[in-house]
Amino acid sequence: MSNTIIEAHNLTVLYGRKPALWNIDFELPDKQVIGIMGPNGSGKSTLLKAIMGVVEPTSGFTKVYDDELNNVRDKVSYVPQRQDIDWDFPANVWDIVAMGRYQKRGLFKKLTTEDNEIVTDSLEKVNMLGYAKRQISQLSGGQQQRVFLARAIAQQGDLFLMDEPFAGVDIATEEMIISLLKTMKDAGKTLVIVHHDLHTAESYFDHLVLLNTRLIASGPTSEVFTDKILTDTYGGRLTTISKISQELENKEFPIRHK
Amino acid sequence: MEIWGHINTFFSAENYTLFVVSIASGILCFAAGVVGTFTYLRKRALIGDVISHSVLPGVAIAFMLTGVKNPVYFLIGAITSGLLSIWIVDYVQAKSKLKPDTILALTLSVFFGVGIVFLTDIQHSENAAQSGLDSFLFGKAASMGMLDIQLFSVIAIINVVCIAIFLRGFSLISFDENYAKGIGIKVSFLKSFLAVLTVITVAIGVQAVGVVLMAALLITPAAGARFLTNDIKKMLLYAGSFGFASGVIGVFISYSGTGMPTGPWIVVVLSLFALVAIIFGKEKGMYSRMKMRVSNNVKINNENVLKDIYKLAQDGENTITINDLIEKEKYPPSKLKSILKRLERDRHIDQVRGFVILSDNGRIAARAVIRKHRLWEIYLSKYFQLEEDHVHDDAEGIEHVITPEIEKHLIKLLDRPETDPHQSEIPY
Repeated sequence: MSNTIIEAHNLTVLYGRKPALWNIDFELPDKQVIGIMGPNGSGKSTLLKAIMGVVEPTSGFTKVYDDELNNVRDKVSYVPQRQDIDWDFPANVWDIVAMGRYQKRGLFKKLTTEDNEIVTDSLEKVNMLGYAKRQISQLSGGQQQRVFLARAIAQQGDLFLMDEPFAGVDIATEEMIISLLKTMKDAGKTLVIVHHDLHTAESYFDHLVLLNTRLIASGPTSEVFTDKILTDTYGGRLTTISKISQELENKEFPIRHK
Repeated sequence: MEIWGHINTFFSAENYTLFVVSIASGILCFAAGVVGTFTYLRKRALIGDVISHSVLPGVAIAFMLTGVKNPVYFLIGAITSGLLSIWIVDYVQAKSKLKPDTILALTLSVFFGVGIVFLTDIQHSENAAQSGLDSFLFGKAASMGMLDIQLFSVIAIINVVCIAIFLRGFSLISFDENYAKGIGIKVSFLKSFLAVLTVITVAIGVQAVGVVLMAALLITPAAGARFLTNDIKKMLLYAGSFGFASGVIGVFISYSGTGMPTGPWIVVVLSLFALVAIIFGKEKGMYSRMKMRVSNNVKINNENVLKDIYKLAQDGENTITINDLIEKEKYPPSKLKSILKRLERDRHIDQVRGFVILSDNGRIAARAVIRKHRLWEIYLSKYFQLEEDHVHDDAEGIEHVITPEIEKHLIKLLDRPETDPHQSEIPY
């Protein structure tokens, strides 16, 4: 029997007046591979950022391990979206993966031999040890993604939140990530992954969260991956939601009347 | 020698003050280069410009309130209005629908305009101490008083020490702010702290080069240093060193001529440093990229001629002359001769009495080129459905590009083929 690892209650995030997430409620089971899916602009990344405390919810809250994130942060590893970053930064692969140890060591403590071993080990797991001294600006998209994965692995969390790890990567990297996910799941880790490719969803995920600003469905893949729910998520009827969002933004209405 | 005369006077005891001024100006510019590296990496170049123009009203108000020209008061005024400008930029950005560049331009001009109004008012007033306030516009490094120098040097050094201590945090927020937040780093504290250090640096840097040129002091050293290294610590060191050298040399130059401005000279020297780095920086520099293109051309010519010689020999031609090769490749004779000379130096061929003879090394090299050519042809026809008469021209170019690593990959991918699409054998 699995336990709840992440829960969201009435989670609402506004960008200006425009809702990115609107009254989201769900509970996610642990030790599973969980996909967060929805069309472009449906709030998938925002959901991950809200769980990680990167964006502040306008109202509502999320809990991780039935606790506030700040108390359990060392159990949570984060893989931000690769495309959000300027890779022309003066650093090599090792420097980036070593950032995974800064959570433990803080801003000032030196990295120990143990930390270096963990970094080496993490690089090995994603087949990037040979690139340790490579400048990050010279990496391909797939290699950048592996570096970000290695950094998250170096955090040694039990819960992994990954933002679009399959976006724009080569087939070899996609296969590598998939086998890595399996290994991690077998080791008892929980993996929450923002994903956009419907074709692979069924085979990759045990549990699915379908979003379109509001929550459409959250449950075992076998139950929620149905034509009806997919049409609800991606189909035309929900453009009403985006029309309402646009009204809220343009005319500066509040979403809730106090 | 006039220059030596200058250098001697420069370091003589009578010029102790000038010596101190140049060192102080160097320390100031060092601090600006180091702090500015993060301004550059965080793509906040224009913020530097906003801050430097925005310190002006603070300085003017400090003078109006106290009525004395005290660097401590000026500094407090400058830092206050500099911080206010950053706060306004952030606030307006969060609350309005204005675009960032509009907000930056508006904030800059409003603060600068207000500053100029105050300065003009002061200059028209009766206060005898007002003379020299306008030096904030263009800097006054060469005429700094001892108190200024000591104060600024101490603050600049504190500044650099803070950056050394917070290097990890500042790098984290410059590369990936979201991740930093995600691992529980106090991002908003680090951002504010960096902003304060930047404002302090600008507030004292303005005294050396003036508000108009201050942004150059922040950004130019980092822009140059980026071309020299891919390591952030080295980048900070280079940027700081460019700043220091420019500060010292700028003061020296402005001293050596009468009526030469200090600030502009510092910026000119700095720009020269950056220009040299942009041209001669390894990997990314213009010169090394040009060299790379030249060496690519040499490789292409060498391999083409080598291939021709090999093919002629394969066709049973035992006496290959330069004329045979000219016919094949259409190179001008002089160019062909220099290519042959290079091939001979690499021990790929021998030239005996006008005949060209392929050596064993040359044979191996030629076969490698032909192998890559044919592998690429197979790859194209297999994966891109190209007709076999369409693949040759493409392979003529790509045969020079394929590295041993890619070749290995191709052989594996194509399952070590025996013949190419034209049924020619692949020489392994």
